[in-house]
Amino acid sequence: MIFGRWRQALTLATRDYFHEWQISVCFVLALAAVLGPMMVLFGLKFGIVGSMIDELRQDPAKREIRPVGSGHYDRAWIETLARRRDVAFVVPRVRAIAATMDVGSNHAGRILQLEVIPSANGDPLLPAGTPPPSGMRQVVLSASAARKLQVSAGDGLDGSLERRYLGRRERVHLPLTVVGVVPARYFSRDALFASVQLTEALEDFRDGHQVPALGWRGSRAGQRHYTGFRLYARSIYDVAGLEAAFEKSGVKVHTQAADIELVRRMDRTLSAIYWAIALIGLTGFSLSLGASLWANVDRKRRELAVLRLVGFRTGEIVWFPLAQSVYTAVLGWALAVVIYRAAAWGINLMLAPQLDAAQQVCRLLPFHYGVALALTLTASVTAALLAGLRAARVEPSEGLREL
Amino acid sequence: MVLHDQSLPIYELKEVVKSREAEGYGFRLRVPALRIFPGEKIALIGESGCGKSTLLDMLAFVLQPTSCDTFRFQVEKRPQDIAKAWKRHRLNRLADLRRRHLGYVMQTGGLLPYLTVRENMSLSRRVLGMKDDGTVDSLARELGLQRHLNKLPGELSTGERQRVAIGRALAHHPAIVIADEPTASVDPFAAEKIMSLFMEMVEARNITVIVASHAWRHIKRLGLRRLSHHTRRSGDGQMAETVVNG
Ligand SMILES: Nc1ncnc2c1ncn2[C@@H]1O[C@H](COP(=O)(O)OP(=O)(O)OP(=O)(O)O)[C@@H](O)[C@H]1O
Ligand SMILES: [Mg+2]
Repeated sequence: MIFGRWRQALTLATRDYFHEWQISVCFVLALAAVLGPMMVLFGLKFGIVGSMIDELRQDPAKREIRPVGSGHYDRAWIETLARRRDVAFVVPRVRAIAATMDVGSNHAGRILQLEVIPSANGDPLLPAGTPPPSGMRQVVLSASAARKLQVSAGDGLDGSLERRYLGRRERVHLPLTVVGVVPARYFSRDALFASVQLTEALEDFRDGHQVPALGWRGSRAGQRHYTGFRLYARSIYDVAGLEAAFEKSGVKVHTQAADIELVRRMDRTLSAIYWAIALIGLTGFSLSLGASLWANVDRKRRELAVLRLVGFRTGEIVWFPLAQSVYTAVLGWALAVVIYRAAAWGINLMLAPQLDAAQQVCRLLPFHYGVALALTLTASVTAALLAGLRAARVEPSEGLREL
Repeated sequence: MVLHDQSLPIYELKEVVKSREAEGYGFRLRVPALRIFPGEKIALIGESGCGKSTLLDMLAFVLQPTSCDTFRFQVEKRPQDIAKAWKRHRLNRLADLRRRHLGYVMQTGGLLPYLTVRENMSLSRRVLGMKDDGTVDSLARELGLQRHLNKLPGELSTGERQRVAIGRALAHHPAIVIADEPTASVDPFAAEKIMSLFMEMVEARNITVIVASHAWRHIKRLGLRRLSHHTRRSGDGQMAETVVNG
């Protein structure tokens, strides 16, 4: 029975809302006019900063930490680095002049001298699905090297290298298999990625040491030292900390920390600006929504008084403005979403030539739409509830004779 | 409806006072003693501004008395202490009494503009959860509104709207109908017709009725009991007091 009167109050509110559709449309427009631009603003902030951060995150080069000059590192030290939680990937590097190889293929007439880069499982430069080079025979090529040699994954290569040994020039050949190609956007130069083991073999050969696994002759190698390493931080946020740690232990490194910091500072600045605008906007928005809903309840006093005259209770009367404010909130929000979508589409279209295919300048997640709806509902329900309670609390005779 | 002992008054008021103040001008309505019995037809006649609406609103539990010794209302077995309900701010109790026992015809329709005539007339029934049993249709026939049942109030003449309001006040079979100048906004000829129709209808349904009007002429013919009242003004015209007895 009581439930029945709630439902009746809801029905009456709905009838009234659509009967007075011109006024309802005005309320919805007023709401959307404030909410829509706010959503565009947030979409821009989120889209711009978001795509910059994404770029930072997706580009492994931003996480790379390179030692400056050549040092003197042993395997144990590299292994302690590998165990650090903020390090995603680290392999030792041999002397740069030793880490080269002449590579030819059946398809290309030219022999390329390629820089040989040590790689291993988990190398961020290897795209997902590409197996890391392992052993003495498997290699991964950079895209430009693969193009010049006209090979792709699965093809064979002929690697060779030369040394002066016992006063004579000596060249050895090494048949290789291409197991993968690193895309150009990750690595643009000509290069060959090989296992650490193979880079060590190249250095040993050039130093006149023996490499039994490949049948290369020479003296016995002594304790090995590396002159550098390839290291990637787990995330862009770990770069600054790692850099500081290296500097403290006396290793000068080169990082993208400055770039990362720039973007993060921009994020903070844009966020601060956005929140300042949003706060002002939200306050204005709540006030205007509250004021219009409050005024609406005031305008409805006579009709609410009639409902009270026929015996609706306070709690049931409140449903009337409440339901109408929910209609306004939901319809206004929906219109704001339409406005936002149109604006975002326009902005993204306008800036599309400057952007990658996947990038969007103006972007919102479904979660953001949800937050906007929740905020709108909260503000409008609060206003309507307060106004409705006030209307239901005064004597019913007040309002009855208005007009 | 289980009607109680006919000899007990529906309304019993003692020393009920309503004071109103507006911009230095004061108005006071005092009811030293008033009893209204079941089935009575009461008329409250007086010039504009003498306090008719004020009294009717108090009798309809929509206006709180400034002070009162006794304000009892009894339709069912248990007497209801209206004075106490107001003092304790039991607005929902009063709403329940209004819903079940009262019909109210206002000076100006008081119809909901977004409901059709039929829905407006059914409103008082719907809030009581009463099923549609043809009452509204027969009321509409009596009031000459059959043609208008599916119109909105905005499409009716003032007199038609007034008749819809009468229909709404009667549709849920209330024990009491209060009418505040139900014909004030229509021409005298129509007023007389509507008033006679209204009185016929309440008579036929044995409803207690309280009507306010400033025209005694035709009310007298309808056989209503007139409440005695007189209005005094202070010398400077700043204060007016109406005393109603009956
Ligand atoms: N809300 C109010 N606040 C202050 N004074 C009021 C209020 N309503 C009415 N009054 C005053 O109370 C007095 C009685 O008003 P009331 O409406 O009861 O008169 P009435 O007899 O119904 O008049 P009418 O025949 O014109 O309807 C008037 O003098 C009026 O000015
Ligand atoms: Mg009046």
